[in-house]
Amino acid sequence: MARINDVGGTEGFGAVDITDDAEPFHADWEARVVGLLGALRAQGIFNTNEFRDAIESMPPREYLAASYYERWFEAICTLLERKGVIKPGELDG
Amino acid sequence: MADGDRFPPGTAVRTFHHDPPHHTRLPRYARGKRGVVVEPEGRAELADVSAQGRGDAPVEQVYAVRFAARDLWGEGDHHVVLDLWESYLEADEEGAAR
Repeated sequence: MARINDVGGTEGFGAVDITDDAEPFHADWEARVVGLLGALRAQGIFNTNEFRDAIESMPPREYLAASYYERWFEAICTLLERKGVIKPGELDG
Repeated sequence: MADGDRFPPGTAVRTFHHDPPHHTRLPRYARGKRGVVVEPEGRAELADVSAQGRGDAPVEQVYAVRFAARDLWGEGDHHVVLDLWESYLEADEEGAAR
């Protein structure tokens, strides 16, 4: 089975929204996630392809329910645990 | 063999048909499909391997490959062009003879 992100050619998702949105972020935390990703990549904690792999590995229900930057944050957390930067469950609670 | 020589422009190719358990840049809709090489696009680290956190990702030629929409979805008059790594492709002798 292909992963949940791989929906090219699948009907039912509607037209791609190509509206030019002047606002790059819709909440402060989104900008922080982008900064966090840049800092971690600059340190060589993980590479871009590992990051994409982590997003694509999300459970399908969670992937579909998550916003764009929520997926980024989920993938960052997954990789930080995998790389031993944080302990499993350290971010919970 | 020089860069881009394995599949010169116009070469009929076929994409792999397996389902890798990791990130890949070959979308599901284009697996096991016949296309034609448009041109070489330069060399790049194979994303499938670097996505596994491995430091030994080979650097391969990437090709722009054109697919007829009807070959991908059974209908449509347009074409789709994908940038695909060399190891995603094999020469399609049958397609070349068509």
